[in-house]
Amino acid sequence: MSAIDDLVTELAKLPGIGRKTAQRLTFYLLKQPVESAVRLAEAIRTVRERVTSCGVCGTLTDEDPCTICRDPRRDASVLCVVEEASDVTAIERAGRFRGRYHVLGGRLSPLEGIGPEALGFDRLLARVANGGTACVGEVIIATNPSMEGEVTATYLQQLLKPTGVRVTRIARGIPVGGDLEYADGVTIAQALLARRDMTESDKTEAG
Amino acid sequence: MSLVTTPALVLQTYRYSETSKVVRLATRDLGVQSAIAKGALRPKSRFGAGLELLSEGMAQLYFRETRELHTLGAFDLVNLRRDLAADVGRFAGATALTEVMLKMAPPAPLPAAYDTLTSALDALERVPPGEIDAAAVRALWCLLAVLGFEPSLARCARDGAAIEPAADEPVPFSVADGGALCPRCGPTSAQPPSRLPLRAYADLVALNDPRAELPPLDASHAAAHRRLVARFVRYHLGEAGPLSALDFWERRAWVPPTPTPIPSAAS
Ligand SMILES: [Zn+2]
Ligand SMILES: [Zn+2]
Repeated sequence: MSAIDDLVTELAKLPGIGRKTAQRLTFYLLKQPVESAVRLAEAIRTVRERVTSCGVCGTLTDEDPCTICRDPRRDASVLCVVEEASDVTAIERAGRFRGRYHVLGGRLSPLEGIGPEALGFDRLLARVANGGTACVGEVIIATNPSMEGEVTATYLQQLLKPTGVRVTRIARGIPVGGDLEYADGVTIAQALLARRDMTESDKTEAG
Repeated sequence: MSLVTTPALVLQTYRYSETSKVVRLATRDLGVQSAIAKGALRPKSRFGAGLELLSEGMAQLYFRETRELHTLGAFDLVNLRRDLAADVGRFAGATALTEVMLKMAPPAPLPAAYDTLTSALDALERVPPGEIDAAAVRALWCLLAVLGFEPSLARCARDGAAIEPAADEPVPFSVADGGALCPRCGPTSAQPPSRLPLRAYADLVALNDPRAELPPLDASHAAAHRRLVARFVRYHLGEAGPLSALDFWERRAWVPPTPTPIPSAAS
């Protein structure tokens, strides 16, 4: 197998990349200066060597604990539980949440053989129950609004109930910039259920 | 290629590309089929929020007899079954049923299996909390029956002799033979059969009869009935690989461990 075939084969294994795109990327890289290809190769190597999951919150990080867990300005009393590290990135991009995170690394999915053992719920429970000085007062469940995400939220709510911590669930509904006319019935129904009083101000935002 | 419109239930979904999903559907008119839902992962997809595990709707399938993967043209949602997500036990029962359907149902028309599955999910959604286990056990037995694995309960699974349960003599039930055994056949069974006391046998008969009232099962009886039906499925499914949803349901894997008490200020 030629070096070109090798790279095409490796690239084609990436999600969303077919053989044609893999070929196009390979030839693109061959046309670029050598240094840029080397930089890419180095970046891939470094990311694999350096990035681990944070021992506290489970997100992907260069340093353990991660910058969010180490940041004293982040409110340790509010924990936002998400399925994946990429969800942390998404919430951070919004720039409004000032609490801390807990990454489950997935969601309950009996059909895929993912049970509570696989998601390390005891780690979350320990964080909530043994918060020490920085006692956790609220857990925001931000799992996806899929069937499995919802079941995971139900499970978490039951799990956390005996600790007495306040458990909240992110709202579902019409996306900002969306159009009611094009929203599906399920989303509209959820949005109506999650409606709120207009006297409530933005100050109630978490974090 | 033909365009088929059929009631369908989503048994499984997975990401196919950046924008498309593959769905495994239990359809009323074509059996269990796989289809690609192009663009289903785009924010403004015409499939909307409908293509979710356990949701039920009208599917339009571009169906090719010779292919394994068809194309989903539309999915008009009828029932999202979100109430199942509000209780892990109900959801666990539903996914165990889904798994049996995925692994045991053929890619051929089987309206009775479709109807049994959807009414079982309806029942799981609305039964009172104390009856969830019994409803799920019944649903599994009924689904097995329409898929051709009905256990023989009134007659001996070996020689057809009438089963006459007595208060002092447990009824042998052999998973391998496919049902209850008479006193003559019981001892000759290759694997030692389960021995069902009168009450357990009567409950099993009721659980297999969708018209009978659901028998009240306490925790230990419910566990025994879960074990029995799960063993039956595993045996008759043979080499179909792990049955993780069935395991999850059978051992109630979601029941939380006793939580660590919050240490008081003094400790
Ligand atoms: Zn962290
Ligand atoms: Zn016999």
